[in-house]
Amino acid sequence: MKRYFEKFKYHGLFLKMFIILVVSIIAVSVSVSWTTIRISERLFINTFSITNGKVIGQIKSGFESLNTAIVTAVNNIQQSGTVKQFLTEGGGSSLALSKTYYNMNKQMKQIAYNVDAFEIDISVTGANGRVYATNRANWPIADEALKREPMTAAAKAQPRRLLYQYSDGLENENGEREPIIAATKALMERSSGKIYGVMYLVMKESQFKRYYESYTSEGNHVVVLSNDGVIVSSDREELIGQRAPDLLAHALDIEKREIDYKDARFMDKDNIMLADYLSFYDMHVVNLIDKQWALGQLIDTKSIVLICIAIVGVALIIVFLIFRRLTRSLTRLVKQISNISKYDFHHYVAVSGSFETRQLAHAFNFMLDELHVYVEELVKTQKKQRNAELAALQRQINPHFLYNTLASIKIMVQRGSREKAADTINALISLLQNAIGNVSETVSIEQELDNLKSYVFINQVRYGERIKVNYFVAPDCMEAQVPKLIIQPFIENAFFHAFNAKQEGYIYVLVAQEGGDLVCEIADNGDGMELGDGSKLPKASSSRQLFTGIGVSNVNDRLKLLYGESYGIAITSEPEQGTQVRIRLPFQREPEDNTSFQQSS
Amino acid sequence: MKKKLATVLLSGMLLLSACASNSNNDAGGTNEEASGGGNAKAGASEVTVWAWDPNFNIKALNIAADLYKKDHPDFKLNIVENAQEDVVQKLNTSLGAGTTKGLPNIVLIEDYRSQSFLQAFPDMFHELTGTFKAEDFAQYKIGPTSVDGKNYGLPFDSGVTGLFVRTDYLEQAGYKVADLQNLTWDDFIEIGKKVKEATGKPMISLDPNDLGIIRIMIQTAGSWYMDKDGKAPYLVGNEALKEAFDVYKRIMEADIVKPHSDWSQFLANFNSGEVASVPTGNWINASIKAEASQSGKWAVVPIPKLASQPDTVNASNLGGSSWYVLNVDGKETAADFLASTFGANVDFYQQLVTDIGAIGTYSPASSGAAYEAADPFYGNQKTIADFAKWTDSIPRVNYGSSTYAIEDVLVVEMQNFLSGKAIDDVLKDAQQQAEAQMQ
Repeated sequence: MKRYFEKFKYHGLFLKMFIILVVSIIAVSVSVSWTTIRISERLFINTFSITNGKVIGQIKSGFESLNTAIVTAVNNIQQSGTVKQFLTEGGGSSLALSKTYYNMNKQMKQIAYNVDAFEIDISVTGANGRVYATNRANWPIADEALKREPMTAAAKAQPRRLLYQYSDGLENENGEREPIIAATKALMERSSGKIYGVMYLVMKESQFKRYYESYTSEGNHVVVLSNDGVIVSSDREELIGQRAPDLLAHALDIEKREIDYKDARFMDKDNIMLADYLSFYDMHVVNLIDKQWALGQLIDTKSIVLICIAIVGVALIIVFLIFRRLTRSLTRLVKQISNISKYDFHHYVAVSGSFETRQLAHAFNFMLDELHVYVEELVKTQKKQRNAELAALQRQINPHFLYNTLASIKIMVQRGSREKAADTINALISLLQNAIGNVSETVSIEQELDNLKSYVFINQVRYGERIKVNYFVAPDCMEAQVPKLIIQPFIENAFFHAFNAKQEGYIYVLVAQEGGDLVCEIADNGDGMELGDGSKLPKASSSRQLFTGIGVSNVNDRLKLLYGESYGIAITSEPEQGTQVRIRLPFQREPEDNTSFQQSS
Repeated sequence: MKKKLATVLLSGMLLLSACASNSNNDAGGTNEEASGGGNAKAGASEVTVWAWDPNFNIKALNIAADLYKKDHPDFKLNIVENAQEDVVQKLNTSLGAGTTKGLPNIVLIEDYRSQSFLQAFPDMFHELTGTFKAEDFAQYKIGPTSVDGKNYGLPFDSGVTGLFVRTDYLEQAGYKVADLQNLTWDDFIEIGKKVKEATGKPMISLDPNDLGIIRIMIQTAGSWYMDKDGKAPYLVGNEALKEAFDVYKRIMEADIVKPHSDWSQFLANFNSGEVASVPTGNWINASIKAEASQSGKWAVVPIPKLASQPDTVNASNLGGSSWYVLNVDGKETAADFLASTFGANVDFYQQLVTDIGAIGTYSPASSGAAYEAADPFYGNQKTIADFAKWTDSIPRVNYGSSTYAIEDVLVVEMQNFLSGKAIDDVLKDAQQQAEAQMQ
């Protein structure tokens, strides 16, 4: 879990950017396609309504030419005396009847010739019960049935009007019906207003359909609607003869508002509906375009979706790869940088990845370099300063010490102990020589011991031999290098502070190797003391000190500065028992100028 | 990085909008709907036929197809029903244009018209000589179906005529069926007058625009509108025609006619009992029997003959048609289908008689049990046997190629004749017009 979180922490940048990109790519592609589809739909519907509006116009003019032909035929029948005679005369001889029938046939053939092209059958029924039919193929209705037809009554009710009427047609042997549309009109004597017959110009619905059928297609239908809401003709045959009041309402609405088209729901489908009124027929021609079908033709949703998915997919793969490349190197860099611990400036980051991260790594490494240089410079300067300080301090041999020592020697000379005076002077000379003359930083334990011995000798000369100093130095440590005058301040300290209560005692100097380090221990069996929280030795400022500037207090600082935090001084003390000072130093054989801050690059 | 991102997005958008606008092209417009017209694209085992009359010809075809399928399971007969006028018009249009595209394998053609097609378009028809035995068929059918001795048509139904009479009306006028055998048209007029007197019913229903009855009359005397070669109109000097015109006029003058103007009124006239007799082809049988309430009130007697002509017989023909194979792909299958059913199958003809009452012209079949059946509708008369008998004596005439063209002229001249124009003038004028039309 935590590992995953860790991982997420490092991939957070990548994930965040990638998710944002995925979301925006998808959003953009979806919104762009949606908008485009919307726009094209609207454009399409507009164009469609314009072209189909023209189509409706053409259908209308087709119907008008049909009407013209029918009206011509109707007028001819109306004006024909032969027809009138046929329909009004009573009985007669066979010869006379034969003549009438012959003439009627001739007359009607002539009239029918004009509407032959429309495949219209003409029937006329007369007040005298006679029926004449040019052909009964369209509507094989028996004479008696024709007289009882509701459309006969309708024609008689409005004798001056040419009515277009619909009938389901007659059932044939197979139980099928072929719907028909008949133009009916009563034949009326103009003078008296007496109706002497009815004429029927019958065409099959399939014939009527010809005027619009070529404009229809799978989702593009035409419906002809009578003014009482009956579907009179349609390329969708199952609709013929059905009532569609809602469609009629839509048609009337379109015609009333004179709009180009309207969205209408019909047969559970959304349609674009166009309509026009056929005034001669008292019918409405309605064009229904199935929206789903039409737009389905326009927009291949499946392929659009597939293309979108493909594009988004490709884009995402590309983005993924680019982003991964970008962020991976960045992440690695961040990881490396954060792994570098506080004081460990030696880990350089690997220069790899994209240009940006390479630059960053370069800059980082360069910065590390700079840092190294500065730190080194600083250390060097400090060391120099310290050395200078030290040098200056070494040169400040306490005048009191000199004065006291020289005074002691004078007394020895006056007393006549020349030997001792000469030894003292030798020790002082050696001490001074070491303190002033030797400028090198470190000295071997052997040299340091010589100095100590000289110093102790002088002190014993001056203050008597009540404090004895013993040296225990491991032979292998003789060559070890230590900073100059590192032990002397502690000896001095023990001399002047450890034996105030006690009058005599010992001071031990032990030098040994311990785990690769050099340990110098200065222990006394003197007064000891209560160690406060500072665990510091009392500050010495006395005329008895060899050097005015070097004290136990700054030895520790010096050591830490020179060798690092793990080195330094540890003091333990017990009242009445004595004090122990442990100096821990790296074990070095060769004297060297620079110790720890060596540049490694 | 930002730049790259923008490029990816931008190109994506362009692509998207491009593909959205792409599919715009195939919108709008309306698709033309292919109408299912004649389908001659029949496979080897699919045969298309054009015929009319679902109660008669089409039923016969279905029976034949079922029989043929027993031996040829792959066979499929595609029957396209068209009115006879449509068949004639479509044939004329296609053949006149010199193409057989859209035409069927088999077509039914009325005998009166067959020569006009066979002579005008000899290459368009597939010769059937040898696929059937021509001598097995009624000889009067061979003339119309062949050219120069080659058979092109397989004879189908007989147009043998009879005089269908209402026995009840005749009895009221004092006639029995036995009195009506071998009448002349003069006898017919006399009987008609008596019947009208007794019952008030006209003897006959006639359409003044259809001279079928004239054709019946002249064929009893072995005469036709055209000469023996079928080339020239034969009106002037045609004694049989002259007498037929005279008879027609006398029928009219006897006032025993009820006119009709079309087929349905014709049927209505006898189904409603308005007329006492129907002199016409046997194919009217089904229509007469359609009025079941008149069962037992009908009989069929031989068609009257012209009184004054030599060699006249009481047998004639009206209508009747034959099958023709067109010279299109699949003609061999079509010819085989016709030859093995209509051309040779006795059982098939028996079935035709029992199922449809259709009388063929295939002589070997005319003696089966079905032909000997008595029909209760006609008072147990063996009508089929009678028709078959009369078929054999129908005089053979050459219908020529212009029967209907000449008749159109005659219809007009008949009216003139009825109005008082002299018969010789009538025939002379008709002859002139007919000759003018045929040139």
